[in-house]
Amino acid sequence: MKFKAFLTDNGVNLLEKRFLPALDKMGKICHLYLTRDYVIFLHNLLNGDGIQSIAQFRKEALFDDYRISSQNDDRIAFTVDISLLHRAVRSSVSICSEFGNGPTANRLQIKLVKKLPLNCTQPMPFLTFETKGYKSAVIQDVPISKPMSRAQVLELQTALDMAQDLPQTLVQVPDLNQLQNFVDRMKNVGDLLNVSISKYGDLHVQISTGLITLGAEYRKLFVIGEQARAPAEDQNLSAQTRSTRAILRGDAQSVQVSVKHFAKSLQYHLAKPDCTFYGIAPQGACLTVIFQFFIPGSRQTDKSISLHCRLPVLDPGTS
Amino acid sequence: MSSSAVDTEAPDLLCHFDNVQGLVDAFTSVRWKRHQDAVIELSEHGIVLIVEESGCLQAKVYLQRELFIRYEYSAQARPRFGVSLGIFVDSLNTFSVPGRLSTIELKYPGPDMQLLLKTVDSLDACIYAEIRTRIPDTISWDYNFEPAGSSPLSFTVKSAALKEAIDDLEWPGSSVLIALQPSPPSVTFKAEGHGDLQVDFMYYANTDLLISFHCDQQVSYRYKYKFLRATTSNIPSSVIRENRGSKLTIGRGGLLKVQHLVSVGKPSTSHTHIDSAGYQQPSRIAFIEFFVKPEEDSPND
Repeated sequence: MKFKAFLTDNGVNLLEKRFLPALDKMGKICHLYLTRDYVIFLHNLLNGDGIQSIAQFRKEALFDDYRISSQNDDRIAFTVDISLLHRAVRSSVSICSEFGNGPTANRLQIKLVKKLPLNCTQPMPFLTFETKGYKSAVIQDVPISKPMSRAQVLELQTALDMAQDLPQTLVQVPDLNQLQNFVDRMKNVGDLLNVSISKYGDLHVQISTGLITLGAEYRKLFVIGEQARAPAEDQNLSAQTRSTRAILRGDAQSVQVSVKHFAKSLQYHLAKPDCTFYGIAPQGACLTVIFQFFIPGSRQTDKSISLHCRLPVLDPGTS
Repeated sequence: MSSSAVDTEAPDLLCHFDNVQGLVDAFTSVRWKRHQDAVIELSEHGIVLIVEESGCLQAKVYLQRELFIRYEYSAQARPRFGVSLGIFVDSLNTFSVPGRLSTIELKYPGPDMQLLLKTVDSLDACIYAEIRTRIPDTISWDYNFEPAGSSPLSFTVKSAALKEAIDDLEWPGSSVLIALQPSPPSVTFKAEGHGDLQVDFMYYANTDLLISFHCDQQVSYRYKYKFLRATTSNIPSSVIRENRGSKLTIGRGGLLKVQHLVSVGKPSTSHTHIDSAGYQQPSRIAFIEFFVKPEEDSPND
C-alpha cells in the first residue's frame, strides 16, 4: 500500500484557505478516501446520524505526481483528524513561503508512512508532510487510523454511491451569508426546522413551537431540474399558505431537519462556493445541499471539485 | 361568518418600524433573566412593554408612536397582552440583518390573538413571526412614583460610569446603600458585606461623570444588589458606548427610578433618508425606566 503525491500551489490554497476550515466545521474526524483519480473527504457516511458530507477532488485539482497503489484496486481509505491535517498544511505553507523562491522551488510532499513513535512498540500509520526549505527540511507527521480493510472500503464505496441521488428540483440560494445569519439567530427559538422547496423556486424555512412560529421565505429563486410556473392566485398569500398550497398541488416538498444541521451546512460558505443549491431528495430521504465552484475567472463550473452534503430528515413530512 | 367579519376589521394595531436592532437593544436592556414574561400595552400614544420581578423591581420600555414610520391604532380600550420577552427578543433579533436596515411590520392581534411580525421591504424574501400571547398577569404593585418632597432628589450620571460602579459593587456581596447629600454635593454607593466598597461621585470633582445633581436634604436608602444590577447589566454594549446619561431619582419611601435613553434611530451608515447633516431627531429615542423598591430596613426616610 503506497501513496505519495506533491501538493500543487492551487491545491495548497484550496485546502488551507477554503476546504479544510470548512470541513473542520462539519466534524473533526473524517474519512479520507484516495483512489486512482480522486481524493475524497467523507463525513458521517458510515454512521447513521449527522450530516453526510462529501468533498471530492480530481487528483489534478490538488496534486501533481500523484502515485497510489494498493492491492484493493489502488484504493486507500483511513480516518484523519481534519484540524491536525489543517495545522500541518498551514505550517508547511508558512515554511514554503518563508524560504521559497518562486512557486516550484519548494514542493510539499505528502506520503503515507508507517513509523515507530516514541514509547511505542507497534509501528503506527501517518500521513507525512515534507517541506524542503533552503537549508532544512521540515517533516510533519499527522497520525491517521489504520487503513481500512477491503470490506470496509467496499462499505464506504457503497455508501458513497448511495449518496449520489439528485433531488428533482434544486433552488439556488442567493446569499449564503444572509441565510446563515438568519439561521444562526433562529437557533435560539427552536430545534426543528421545516424546509419546503417548490418547483416555482420558493425556499421556505420555518420553526414552529408552541409559543412561536418563525420563518423566512425566499421566492423566485433560480431553479435547476423540475420547475413550474407559480400560480398567479398565490401571489398575495402568506408564506405559510403559499407553501401549504404548493405541497397539496404536488409542486413542493417539505421535510423537517435539525436547525443545528442546517446551520452547520451553511458553514460551507468558508469553502467559498460560487453557487449553493438546496433540494429535497426523492421520497424526502434527505435535504441535499450542493455547492458549485467556478473555474477561476469564469462562470464555468469546475468539474474537478464537487462538494455536497445531505442533512438527515427527522420526520418524513409531506413527501 | 363571524370569523370573516373579524378578518375584515382593522387590527388593534398595525405599525411599521425601520430599525429592528434599536428595538432589540431597547428590549434586551430589560431582559435580566432568560425566561421572563412581559406585558405589552398598546395605546394611541405608542407601545409600552412592562416587566416585573417579585414585587420589587419593575421595568418599562416606552416606544412612542413618533418612533414608527407608520402607526395605525384602532382599538377602543387599551389592549394588554402577555408575551415571553425572551422569545420576543430572540425572534426580533432574527429580523435584524447586520449592515442592512429592514422595515418590519408589527400587527396585533392575529387570527389567534398572536402578535404578528414580518418584513415588508422585499417581495421576494420575507421573514415572519407569529408570537403567541397570553392574558396578562395583573401587575402586583403599581409603581406610583411620587416625589419625596417639594424638590426632586435626583442625579444624572454617565451610563457607562453607572454600570461600572454597580458592577464593581458586586464583590462585597451585600445590598447597596445609595446616599445623596447636598453639601458637598455628592452621591455615594456603598456595599458592606465580606469587605466594604464605596464609590463616590462628587458633583464638583467629576462634572463630566455626574452631569446633574438635585438634592436639598441628606437621604440614603438600601437596595438589593441583584435588583440594582438589573437596571444596568443588560444594556447592550453598543448602547453603553453611546454613553448618554442615566437619571436616577429617589421618590417617596425611597422608591428608586432609573431612566435610560436608548437610541432607536437609524445608524449613521444609512443612505436612505439622510437628515440635514446627519441630525438625529430627538424623538428617535426609546425611554427605559426601572423602579426599584428599597429594602425594608433602610436607614432613612
